[in-house]
This record gives sequence, structure tokens and C-alpha cells, in this order.
Amino acid sequence: MSLYFGLIYAYIYNQLKKVKAGSNGAAENGGEQSARGAPLAAFLVWLLLIPVCALECAAAPGPDPATGERLRQLSLEELGNLEVTTASKEPEEVWKTPAAIYVLTKEDIRRSGATSIPEALRLVPGVDVSRIDASTWAVGVRGFGSRFSQSVLVLIDGRNVYTPLFAGVNWTVQNVMLEDVARIEVIRGPGGTIWGTNAVNGVINIITEKSGDTQGALISGGGGNLEQGNAAVRYGGTFGRNFSYRVYGMAFRYGPELHPDGNNFDDWELGQGGFRLDWSNQKRDSISVQGDLYKGSVGESQSVAYYSPPAMRAINADEDASGGNILFKWQRKVNKASDFLLQAYYDRTWRLTSQLGEKRNTFDLDFTHHLRIFPRQELTWGLGARWSPSEFIQTVPTIVFRPFHQADNIYSAFLQDEIAILRNQLSLTLGTKFEHNIYTGWETLPGARILWTPTTRQSVWAAVTRAVRSPSRVDEDLELTDLYATTPVPQYLQLAHNGEFASEKLLGYEFGYRKLVTARIYFDLALFRNNYNDLASYGEPVIGPETSSNPPGLVAMIPWINGLVGTTEGFEIAPDWKPTPWLEMRGAWSYLNMNLRSKTGSDPGSTIAVYEGSSPRHKVVFQTRISLPKGFEFDPAYRYVSALPTQFPTGLPADYVRAYSTMDFRLARQMTRSLELSISGQNLFQPGHAEFSGDPGPLVLIRRTVYASVTWRQRESP
Amino acid sequence: MAPTTPQFRACMAIATVFAAMMLPNWRGRDDLFADNRRPTEYQVKAAYLANFAKFVEWPAGSITDDSPIPVCVAGQDPFGPALDAALSGERVGGHPLVARRIDGLRDVDGCRILFVSSNEALIDSVGSVERLPILTVSDAPDFLKHGGMIEFVLASNRVRFEINLAAARTAGLNISSELLRVATTVRKTP
Repeated sequence: MSLYFGLIYAYIYNQLKKVKAGSNGAAENGGEQSARGAPLAAFLVWLLLIPVCALECAAAPGPDPATGERLRQLSLEELGNLEVTTASKEPEEVWKTPAAIYVLTKEDIRRSGATSIPEALRLVPGVDVSRIDASTWAVGVRGFGSRFSQSVLVLIDGRNVYTPLFAGVNWTVQNVMLEDVARIEVIRGPGGTIWGTNAVNGVINIITEKSGDTQGALISGGGGNLEQGNAAVRYGGTFGRNFSYRVYGMAFRYGPELHPDGNNFDDWELGQGGFRLDWSNQKRDSISVQGDLYKGSVGESQSVAYYSPPAMRAINADEDASGGNILFKWQRKVNKASDFLLQAYYDRTWRLTSQLGEKRNTFDLDFTHHLRIFPRQELTWGLGARWSPSEFIQTVPTIVFRPFHQADNIYSAFLQDEIAILRNQLSLTLGTKFEHNIYTGWETLPGARILWTPTTRQSVWAAVTRAVRSPSRVDEDLELTDLYATTPVPQYLQLAHNGEFASEKLLGYEFGYRKLVTARIYFDLALFRNNYNDLASYGEPVIGPETSSNPPGLVAMIPWINGLVGTTEGFEIAPDWKPTPWLEMRGAWSYLNMNLRSKTGSDPGSTIAVYEGSSPRHKVVFQTRISLPKGFEFDPAYRYVSALPTQFPTGLPADYVRAYSTMDFRLARQMTRSLELSISGQNLFQPGHAEFSGDPGPLVLIRRTVYASVTWRQRESP
Repeated sequence: MAPTTPQFRACMAIATVFAAMMLPNWRGRDDLFADNRRPTEYQVKAAYLANFAKFVEWPAGSITDDSPIPVCVAGQDPFGPALDAALSGERVGGHPLVARRIDGLRDVDGCRILFVSSNEALIDSVGSVERLPILTVSDAPDFLKHGGMIEFVLASNRVRFEINLAAARTAGLNISSELLRVATTVRKTP
């Protein structure tokens, strides 16, 4: 409770500071005034609305008892035909998970107003989402945010979307129809024992609905000033009792963010379609087959070094991205004490940018078996294999992956045992994964977790886990040349791989506490300390002549080494307060302190500054959801993100990503049982603010956006 | 600003949607069951529990004159106030229905309807009450296999139920044909 008040005070204080700054600014620049006035007005309306609504809604009968009253008049048959909102089984599972897990439910996603997965993740404690430009995001979990979310493993229905080319996730092409998403589970902290290498700082699990739960037709469309158009169509049906399916298609188009230099390169568009089939034989077997195909054109700006003048060229070009996947899953319940999952998928990606191109085919097979041998032990073991041949396509002379063809193959086995020391009160989970990759051979990823649930209203857990990020092609095979200076002779920097790059290692210590303070107040706390070793960095450059350039010049060969060690520590506090059925307030405060150092004492490439500058120290999110009479929903959210310490150490103030606070909202109304209208806005406090650097030119400013949408769902009558 | 810019189109789209949103009385009489006012899963399950009492005959003598019929919830209570709301004012054959929360199956004394929460230990021991005149209900998977009488199942966001008639007979309960007709499946052999 007091935390909420604290947050509100911080909020008001910030606003007052801003108003003061605004009035000073107005003296200098009158044009700014209206832009600064608007967010203040929005904030005041929000503040006023809560007490007004509290009075209004307290007087009116709330939806809950009225619904209950109506239910009493229904017959058994009518009850059976009524669609219900299911409180998912998650709370119970989350309660008993000895890890820092946060679940975004279908309702959370709908009411966030987000239209993409990274935007939806902004609400999750411990996850830093920074938008780089219209099409790219840096998503970090407990630090280390980067464009490809290095060290975060992302799965869509069990399909691993981590790309071995860049060691990360290309968020631009990871799109799902958000109406299909059942939930997104975010696990902060190392998850290598189950998920293997690269699940270092966190795991993001995107899980879509079974096709039986997405029956009938759905059509949605929308548009706004950034996302200029979005259309999605879905249809689900059944064949007999055991078989259901859905098909969908969607397309969207984004305009550019704000560019101070007028280089509006980042507009993009993408189309995607897919299907899912589910078959289930009562309760014993369930089989699903699903697939997607996409194609997009993504506006990018890149600076590329050349060996002939002009030696540095800024290239604006559209990235051509396409791909597809097909996934098969078979779950069987052998008996009460044993069940297994067999999963296989094929994933194809193709991308061609002004810097490089890659064609990749991934084949993956996984088997997981869960069994209870002894009364108090739950044993899970599994085997996995992945074969991922790829072909690099060279488009510029200064970026080469050698060899051009390579298969990144992985074999793995894991074993985990959950031991109930005291039934329903104390359990210990021990496990390890062994994973073989082509660069470093076998990696061992052990972990131990303990969970204590002294009462049904509180749980305490602690964990020690080891995780590694195995090298990827960018660590071992990339020959990248950049330009340092052109006078008096061209001077180049070249990344030099020695083929001895080791895995980055993490030993993580975690502690968590969850408490249901009253039936309506929930509180979740997680503390962590991560010890990193062998983090990647630049070594000491060796200078020599560069003969392939015209005119001949110099080149500094910079080794890519495992040069850094260090720690991160921090916490996430996430309270949730639901005072009435129509009002819910949630908050999250995430704190991170990163402390890295070079093993040799020198860090010539300033890699430490890049890592430490990649994630904010504080992130505060405060979200309110209000269900109003007449089908209205009003969901404002406030966000504060502290400054990114000098991310790229040019020393120029224009390159600093400053702290920002801003507000999002969603106003929606259920017009009929089938039709929903909504208007959502993001980043309302300022016309634009920087969140991350990474594109050439001045920092891209992320716009204030407004977006309107219409959703129609076919419904059977109750 | 030329009227064809994306900014202008965005403004028009938003203005149109906002205007449509403000239209009065669009929603018809199905107001209550629109998406955000849909009943919750456990409101419907509570309504079922209140209804079941009307379709079950307990052995003679197990319900005494004028005393209320206790509807018990064993283990963690998933209903909250929804159960009390569904039962309040309901009468079956002159007997009011009352909600009662119990910790384990040892405390079932007097219960006539028992909802067993989805807890493995509780479900495993449901056999211990199989001969008592209690209608056992749960939403745990395989509840019927463990000797339970009514199991709620969710299908396409709708709450349905299955009946184990053999278990009801063992306990001496008589389930009316109307309830059997509505059940998705009826298991007649143990």
C-alpha cells in the first residue's frame, strides 16, 4: 500500500518538476508550451477520474453481484452454454514456481493496448524494453539489453527463435496475432537447466491458444499515426468431437519514428498467415500441428565501411525478410505417474539487408518425459537435437562470415528431480542439462532450487543456477571492418577472431518471496545477484598496414576476447491490488546495479561502458485498469525509466539516452457482445523521446502515438 | 497539412472510432454477458452447485427437518464470495443451502454436497468418503476415476460436467434423469 502512495508521490513530484521545467522552457521557446501542457492535462484527468469513478461505481451495482443474480435464473442447460472468463490455472502454478516468473495473461495483453510482443513486455518487472526505431527493439532481462536481446531465450509455442547468426532474437520478424496469445511467461534469471544454453538472463515463453479456444470468426482492423494500418482475420472450426482448427492472416504497416535529421528510413510492413490443428483423444493423447509464413520489408539505415572512397557510406535500404515454420507436438499421458511430450519443428528464415544476407533452415527434435518413480519425487528428463545449416550472403566487402556455409548443430540431454521434502510445504529441485555445440563442445548447466510454502498465502524460494551463452557466428566467424579515420591515410578497425572464443558464463543466486496480504492485495519480491565470467570484449589492437584499401592505409586488428568479469545485482517488486471487481492497480519497480571489470585491467574498446549503458538502473511501471459502466474500459499506465549511462562513449550530450517518464492509456468499449472499439495512446507526455541508440545519425525519438481499432468476434448466443 | 498525410488519416480514424464509441444505448439487453461482464468460471460453477441440490435425492434420514444443507469446499477455496452469493436464499425442499469451508476430508461430517479443490492429496483420498451420503464434485482431471461423482470440464470456455453414476449409487444417492441428460457423459460402471 505504502509503496503505491510512494509511487504516486514520485509521479506527482516528477510532474511538478516537469511543469516547472516546462514554464522555464516556455519562456525560451513558446512553441513547446502546448506540447508540455497536454500531458499535464491528461494526468490531471486521470487523477480526477479515479475518485469520481469510485463514487459513481460504488453507487451503481457492480457487475459481479448483478451477474451472479442473473445466473440464478438460468437452467442447467443455459449454464452449460454460457461462455465464462476462466481465471487461468496460472496463479496456483506461479505460486509454486521456485523462479522469478511473471505471466502476462490474455487479458493483460488486451488491456495493455499493445500491438506487438515487445510493447506488451513493457509491463513485466525486470524486463527493459527500449524501442530503437519503428521496427526494432532492445529487450533485456536484468540488464544487457541489445537489439538482438543477447542472452535471452525466446520461445513461441516451444519453438526456439534465437538466431545463431547474431546470438539473439530478431524481434522484427517474431510476430504473432496477439488475439491468439494465451499467455506470455517471462522467467527472469538463468534457465539453462531446462532450456539450455543462451537462457542466461531470462526466458520469454509465448504460448498461443489451442484452436478449440479460438472458434468462430474474428476480424480486427486499426490504424494510427505510427502503426498506420493493421488488419487481421481469423477463423476457427471443428470436425467432430476431437478435431479443431484455425487459420489466420494478418498484415500491418508502420510509419517512421521521429528523426531529428529528417532521415525517415524506418517505415516497414509485414504480412503473415498461418494455421493450427489440434486433435485430442479424450484425455490421453493430444496432437497439434501449426505453422506460419511471413514476408516483410523493413526500412533500415546502416553505415558501412568501404575500401575505396568514400570509405564510409550511409545506406538506406529496405531489408527483405521472409520465413516460415511448421511445428508438431504430441503429448501423451501414459498413466497417472507418467507423461511425455514429443516435439519437432522446421523453421526457415531469409533476410537480406544492405550489410548482409542469411538463409537458414533449422530442424529440431525434442523429447521430454515426466514421471513419478517414488512417491515424493517428480522426475523429468529429456533429449534434444537441432540441425541448423545456414548460408551467408555477402553484400559488402567489409562484412564477411567465414565459412559461408555452416551448420550450427546442438545435442542435449537433461535430468531434473523435484523432491518433496515435506509434502505441500517444502520441495527441492535439482537438475542439470548437458548440451553440445559446435564451438565449445559440451556445456554443463546445473541448477538447484528450493521452495517453501509455509501457508497457502505465502511462498519463499531460492535458487543457484549456472548458465552459459555459447558462442555464435558473430563471435567466431565474423570479419567486420569499420572505418576509424580517413586522414592522413584511411585507418580501419577490424574485428579479429582467434577461434578460441569461450562461452560467457553466469552463476546466478536468487531469492524470492510472494505473499497474498489480503484476498485483494498480492505482493511479489525477487532479489538476485549474478556473477558473470568470460563476457565478450575487445582486446588490445595490433596495428598493421591495410593493403586492400584504396589508397593503402592502416588497420588495427582488434581481438574479440572473453575479457570481462563482473556482477549484477538488483530486485523487482511487483504488487497488485484489486480493491473492487472493476478496479485493479499494479505496479512494478525494477532495480539493477551492474559492476563489470576487465580481467587485464584495460578495456580498449570501452565494452564495459556499452554493457553498463545498455540497461536502466530503475524502471517503474504503474498500471490502473478500470471497468466502467456501459461496457467502457479505461486503462492508463505510467512508466518511468532512468537514464542509460553513456551507452556509446562519444561524450556528446546528444548521444545520451536520458531518463523519461511517460504515460500510455487505452479506452475501449464493448459495443455489443461481438464488437469492441478501442483507442490507445503511448508515450503521451512528450512528442518524442529517445530510448536506445543503435541507428546511424542522431538518436531516433520514439513518438507519441495514438491508435484506434475495431474488433469483431463471432459469438454464439448464451 | 495536405489531407492525405498519414497523420491526417490517423486523426480521422481515431475521431471516427471515438464518435462511434460514444453512441448511446448501442448495447442491447445482453449487456450483462458482454465480454468484460462475462461471468467467471467459478461463478458458473457455484451456480451449478446450487442447482445440483435440486436434482439429487439423499438417502432417507440423512437430511433432518428444517436443518440447512451444507455445501462444503475442501482445500483451497476457488469460489470466494461467489459461492455464498449463489447459495444465499436458495432452498431445496424447504432446506436453505449454506456454504462451509473445511480443511480436509476428515471434517466432512454433515456435508451433503462437497466440492473438492484441485489438490492431489485430497483427490487421492476421496475414496474415504465414498460410502457417506455426500455428492462429491470437483474440477480436478480424473476425479471420476478416483471415485468422485461429478467432474466439471471446460470446453470452449463453457463449463460442462460428467457424472459417475456408479459412485453415486455406492453412496446411496439418487441422481435425477434431468441432471443425467444435461451431463456430457455418464459413467455407469465403476
